Amino acid sequence: MSSNEIHQETQVRSLPRIGEKAPQFEADTTQGRIRLSDYEGSWLILFSHPADFTPVCTSEFIAFQKIYPELRKMNTELLGLSVDSISSHIAWIRNVKEKFGVKLEFPIIADLNKEVAQMYGMIMPEESSTETSRAVFVIDDKQVIRAIIYYPKSTGRNMQEILRLVKALQTTDEHGVATPANWQEGDDVIVPPAETDELAEERMNDDSLNCIDWYYCTKKLS
Amino acid sequence: MACVNAKGQLTQSAKKLLRAVGDDSLSPQDISKKAGIPLFKVRSSLRELKDAEYVSEENGSWQLTEKAKKVLEEDN
Repeated sequence: MSSNEIHQETQVRSLPRIGEKAPQFEADTTQGRIRLSDYEGSWLILFSHPADFTPVCTSEFIAFQKIYPELRKMNTELLGLSVDSISSHIAWIRNVKEKFGVKLEFPIIADLNKEVAQMYGMIMPEESSTETSRAVFVIDDKQVIRAIIYYPKSTGRNMQEILRLVKALQTTDEHGVATPANWQEGDDVIVPPAETDELAEERMNDDSLNCIDWYYCTKKLS
Repeated sequence: MACVNAKGQLTQSAKKLLRAVGDDSLSPQDISKKAGIPLFKVRSSLRELKDAEYVSEENGSWQLTEKAKKVLEEDN
């Protein structure tokens, strides 16, 4: 193997960062050829999995399908990805329907040449240089990357956390607030810290807020 | 091809999308609402149907071509 071949095998691009525009791509999926720009106006969860016909991935896809209706109510779509072929994806989808009674309704990218996987930094060479890891990219309706989650091959993802994350991001956008640890819909939200001493003083006297101190104020969303 | 099968015939989902357009000139968002098909799927299908000359686009609005109207008529 030449040094050039070794270099190509181990080449890994850095993953896109939160706040950046999501890198555009066009890819073959189980529902036809799809461009990332086709999702403009909707939120998108772009997620990768190591391989079709493996137990943790199967459990995840069933779990993703179970939260899909709730995600769609939040104007959010799902788009899966692995380096398997379209034929493999189709066979797996049909197997999941036959064996588990679950119809997977969202598209799955067949990223055989790893183009999208490398673009999004979904391959962790120390874990596997031939499979994608369990990456989740939350992309908003303006196609900006808003959150990134990574899990190793051995650990299935938590769907409730993904739902909570999307709800928290959309709440932040709608109300201009932040959300505290373990926040759930209906809980108090955090008012962004005051930027001047005067605003800090005003905030401490604002009866609509619950301020522990000037930098830690929460409120209820009406 | 998601809209056209191996025999060169339109798939059921493609026909559903075309019927939603009907005699109108609609945006992908309008088609999505009318047909109950996700917006990403509408956009991707319209691209494919345009290449196959079943729809045409003008200023962001999509209409059926004579070819599409003929296929839908034959179906009725």
